[in-house]
Amino acid sequence: MDPILQLSIRQLSGKWRVTLIAVLAALPVALMLFIKLVAGEEIEFNADFINVTLSGMVIGAVLPIVLITLSTASLGNEVENRTLGFLITKPVPRYRIVLPKVLAAVVIGGSFIVASAVASTFIGGGSVQAAIAVAAGVAIGVIAYSTILTWAGLLTSRAIGFAIVYVLLWEGAISSFLGGARYVSVRAYVLSIMHELDKDSFAPLSDGVIEWPAAVVGAAAVIVVFFWLTVLRLRRMDVQ
Amino acid sequence: MTQNTAPATQGTRPTIEVNKLSKWYGNVVAVNDVTLNVYPGITGLLGPNGAGKTTLLHMMTGLVQPSEGDVTVLGEHVRDNPSLYRRIGVMAEHESVYQFLTGRELVTLAARLYGVPNVEQAVDKAVKAVNLTDAQFRKLGTYSRGMRQRMRLAATLVHDPDVLILDEPLNGTDPRQRLEYHELMRRMADEGKTILVSSHILEEVETLADRILLMVSGKLAASGDFRAIREMLDEQPYKVRVVTDSPRSMAAALVGLDAVDSVSIEKDGEITVLSRNIAVLQRSVAKLAKERGIRLKRVEPIDESLESVFSYVVER
Repeated sequence: MDPILQLSIRQLSGKWRVTLIAVLAALPVALMLFIKLVAGEEIEFNADFINVTLSGMVIGAVLPIVLITLSTASLGNEVENRTLGFLITKPVPRYRIVLPKVLAAVVIGGSFIVASAVASTFIGGGSVQAAIAVAAGVAIGVIAYSTILTWAGLLTSRAIGFAIVYVLLWEGAISSFLGGARYVSVRAYVLSIMHELDKDSFAPLSDGVIEWPAAVVGAAAVIVVFFWLTVLRLRRMDVQ
Repeated sequence: MTQNTAPATQGTRPTIEVNKLSKWYGNVVAVNDVTLNVYPGITGLLGPNGAGKTTLLHMMTGLVQPSEGDVTVLGEHVRDNPSLYRRIGVMAEHESVYQFLTGRELVTLAARLYGVPNVEQAVDKAVKAVNLTDAQFRKLGTYSRGMRQRMRLAATLVHDPDVLILDEPLNGTDPRQRLEYHELMRRMADEGKTILVSSHILEEVETLADRILLMVSGKLAASGDFRAIREMLDEQPYKVRVVTDSPRSMAAALVGLDAVDSVSIEKDGEITVLSRNIAVLQRSVAKLAKERGIRLKRVEPIDESLESVFSYVVER
């Protein structure tokens, strides 16, 4: 395994962080189990489940919060703990420092969130195809958020504040109400990809999604642009 | 003020070339128009805290972008040139370590990042060189500061670099560790490597370095052979406070000493002595007091801080 990826996974796998992520990822699953217990019968994969649990809770809250916890720390902690100089003074191209940092958050966060989303989908009565759509959409969301928030962590020591404002204001509010803003929203990309992969199951999302090619291109652009910005920042910043 | 070192290695190409280098942060000038060359062997970068040593080293190692001027190491620009680090080992002063790694894991990580061919063998050698074989499997978080410094040094030299740039590497080390450090540096210098070591402690650099770069207030104040700089420093009189139960008698006795430039008695009865030969003065004070039956209460240097010594050199 790449030494920086190995190092980063260990850095991000601290006990409190993993516990927090596990608790967050368990919330939608616990909610669905509770509903199933109360309902006492097979619950249906309906609009309420899709809008509240998947779109609202998993994709709108758990996904960005978990990635805030991981990705802002991925390079941000190297700066804060004064260990970045150790990596910078090694004969490693800057993209080979950024890539494992993004991937470490993707591996840890992605495994919890995808598992949570898929489990919630099944408990909520979703089909295998719906679960595949959810897994694919959430995975792309994890990668996109990870690149944005890794960049934010390197850019500012207040990355968590920046990330919370971005998620609440842009992803949560503006892109939900302004149709045009959805073209630059990770949440809209995730929902649109899910919708495209299983139109029948995710029909209730049809009003809020964008065209799937735009979602795929948009997600790819976000990943490439923020990855490049992070590499650029790492090349140009002064490391004290 | 800019100067070039005038080393014994004149004619050899310098390993590090610094040309009109400046760095400022807003209105604060950290390094001001410094030009110097560093050659194979051990060079000490000396100066008081805040003199700009660390900023200069950060620019030399590519960690910080100069505001003006340029730096080359082994003939190549160092900034944004990662492949050059295959031949350089950098140990920054304020850099921390990954506390959750063991000492050996840190050195192994460095070796893998440097692309060392035989990692295990190189790590064994580096850990042995800093005399931490027994502690290598302990987490860095449990190390003393001196041990951490030594393990960081092992990680810095695990790829056998041609150039070592070390910022205050002896911080936190005890005298025995310093001696080992010196021996290690000397061995590497004898192999033809270029070692640049910064310190704010005069004696530390005196025993280690062949050549000195003296920085004060962001400028290169002096450079060259250590003895020449030491002589300059020795020309400054040291101020010593002597407290006795009989200041007048003691002052009268001190005036007659060759090592003493001047003696004055302060209002509180304390004696202030200016001397260019502090060692002789210390011996003589005790002897005089004993001969005259004077009780010595205190003998202490007043301003032997490096800052005052350096300021003297700059003001000359």
